Amino acid sequence: MELKITEEGLKKALKSARKPEVTAKQKLPVRYHVEDFKVEGRTRAFLEAFAAILKHSNYKFVLDHYIRISAKCSRCTTNCQIYEVTGDEHDIPCYRSELLLSIYRRHFTVAGQMSGRLFGDPGLTDEHLQELAASVWNCTACRRCVNECPMGIDHGLVTHLARYVLSEIGIAPRALVVSTREQLIGDSGNTSAIPVPALLDTLEFLEEDMEEEKGVKIKFPINVEGAEYLFVPAVSDFLMEAETLMGNAAVMTATGGSWTIGTGYFDGINYGLFYSDHVLEKAVQKILAEAERLKVKKIMIGECGHASRSAKYFYPAFCGGKDALPIINCMEYAYDMLKAGKLKLDPNVIKERVTYHDPCNIARPGWIVQQPRELIRAFCKDFVEMTPNGRQGVCCGGGGGTVSIDEIMPYRMEIGGKYKAKQIVDTGAHYVIAPCANCKKQIREIIDYHKLDAELVGLHDLIYKAIIFD
Amino acid sequence: MEAWLEFGRGPLFRISFTLMVLGSLRIIILQIIGMIEAYNRSADKIVPWGDLWKKTFSWLIPIFNIWRKRPVYSVISVLFHIGLILVPLFLAAHVLLWKNSVGFGWFHISQSLADYLTLLVIITAPLLFLMRVLNKNSRFISRTQDFVIPLLLVIPFITGYICVNSSISATGYQVMMFFHVYVGNLIMIMVPFTKIAHCVLMPFSQFVTGVGWKFPKGAGDKIIATLGYGNKPTWFDNPRIGIVTEAETSQEQEDKK
Ligand code: SF4
Repeated sequence: MELKITEEGLKKALKSARKPEVTAKQKLPVRYHVEDFKVEGRTRAFLEAFAAILKHSNYKFVLDHYIRISAKCSRCTTNCQIYEVTGDEHDIPCYRSELLLSIYRRHFTVAGQMSGRLFGDPGLTDEHLQELAASVWNCTACRRCVNECPMGIDHGLVTHLARYVLSEIGIAPRALVVSTREQLIGDSGNTSAIPVPALLDTLEFLEEDMEEEKGVKIKFPINVEGAEYLFVPAVSDFLMEAETLMGNAAVMTATGGSWTIGTGYFDGINYGLFYSDHVLEKAVQKILAEAERLKVKKIMIGECGHASRSAKYFYPAFCGGKDALPIINCMEYAYDMLKAGKLKLDPNVIKERVTYHDPCNIARPGWIVQQPRELIRAFCKDFVEMTPNGRQGVCCGGGGGTVSIDEIMPYRMEIGGKYKAKQIVDTGAHYVIAPCANCKKQIREIIDYHKLDAELVGLHDLIYKAIIFD
Repeated sequence: MEAWLEFGRGPLFRISFTLMVLGSLRIIILQIIGMIEAYNRSADKIVPWGDLWKKTFSWLIPIFNIWRKRPVYSVISVLFHIGLILVPLFLAAHVLLWKNSVGFGWFHISQSLADYLTLLVIITAPLLFLMRVLNKNSRFISRTQDFVIPLLLVIPFITGYICVNSSISATGYQVMMFFHVYVGNLIMIMVPFTKIAHCVLMPFSQFVTGVGWKFPKGAGDKIIATLGYGNKPTWFDNPRIGIVTEAETSQEQEDKK
């Protein structure tokens, strides 16, 4: 498979699903849908929002550092899966960051303001704003480019901030905003709008299934006060990843774990990580409220990269600092149980070749890299790695929330996910394990779109097949 | 000419040196204060120090990192930096100059080593410049200073090398020395204000990024209050985010069909 994009592919990828009238009315040449917002005076509004964010949050010293230190060495070009496919200079990570950094330099530093006045530089233009709005959503915020920046500039952080400022003036993908609205002020209180009765029905149905298949009573404990773990998967798992959930339940049952699902809040998804610190905070605090209600001791996040990261790395910041409850990912639990000899897996069930995709959000910081591999090696005979992998792993192309934006699917397939598609083909694996709700959706679409001979599964899907009950 | 040289090596040197040191100290101190403030503001105190130290050293002494990507460019760049850092600081004549003007000195390297290192810079600097100009990515993201600085930096090296190693006329020597001294002074003044600042800021980089991800609690609420949106954040319908556009809903229905 050729990595470089063809002309025809590029045409498909860049085609906008938006109506030209809407684009013209909003003066916004982006590919994602945006709810209506105030168009006139938006550069001013952007600068005001930027100023407010700088005032109250922690970004200022970071930007000060980045504008001084950037050496423009262009090593980052070698590590961005978007750039490697398009070869377009506008997709160079350092260029993308510069779009925001230049606004900061011009409007928020003394030197910039002075030279602006001196040379009659008008400052932030609407065209620049439009380019920024398009560019930051081409990036998947996978932070792979950070690995190759000698200056330690985190382009993912800059993208994150740019999206936050834009969202404060109303420019954010509608798909994410609508889900967030449902999660934070909607009746269902979760991003997939699943009502509690439907959830209970689903779980009951799965319990019956599991009893039939495994001959063991496996429960989804609901609202158990004082349980050890509050289990919070990406809520979409309840709709789309039944096998993964059954795997989770099977592991907990086989190892005698004390866990519960709370009907007050059962959604690990947090789009705030992608576009708004405000949303990030409020969504994380919903987990806190549920954990307090059920008086659990720890929180276990399901198979989902961004849900795990937004909880693990932001729960302490927003929910009690040092006293915050410990957060673990379900794979860590399974790994510990395997080491303790409580989780037994039959090595003769999975005969096909398997490979493992590292979700960026949990692999990049080096948090969950080894655990799933040891689990896989414990029962899969034919395990092959993708190259590169682990902390250097390549994004599936649906990171940073882009996988939830359906209208940019061709972009995700032709550009974002091309590298991953090539990696999958190169391994020759039948099972592609991707322990993340976002990666699962994206890679499933990749397999479909590029007609690959592979099957996408979660790690717990396979564990469910091979688990042994005493 | 002699007087100019005296001025450049004497008072002007002291001024530029002071500007460089104070300017660098200023940005370093501001950086550290910013970092501490941010750290204190966030309730999250879990910083992966070990990992950050490791990353910091892996880039300060990049023996393992440079082979991974763009190896030719990276190796040339590292060689360039080695000469660039060692010669100005540890050349015998310079150490003497420090001693005379700022009152203290340190150990120095041998003249022949200094010569080799100087040649290294003289060869690598134009190469770096060329690679920047010829590579379309590098050219695209480069600012003016990225092109100018390597060429400017190499001037003191060339002139210094000529002064030491060739038998030119006395006037020739003085002209060379003039450029050597004045460009050298200019570069020192530029350190805190241009990208050369990375020589003093780089050790902090990984920590800045590490702490940068620590967010303060309640900032989101304060931000919308400051913006005058009151209790109407982005997930409410409000002037910023209104109702879904008619056009787009119908578009989507079409897509579904
Ligand atoms: S974060 Fe990922 S997608 Fe974005 S610029 Fe860096 S490598 Fe590319």
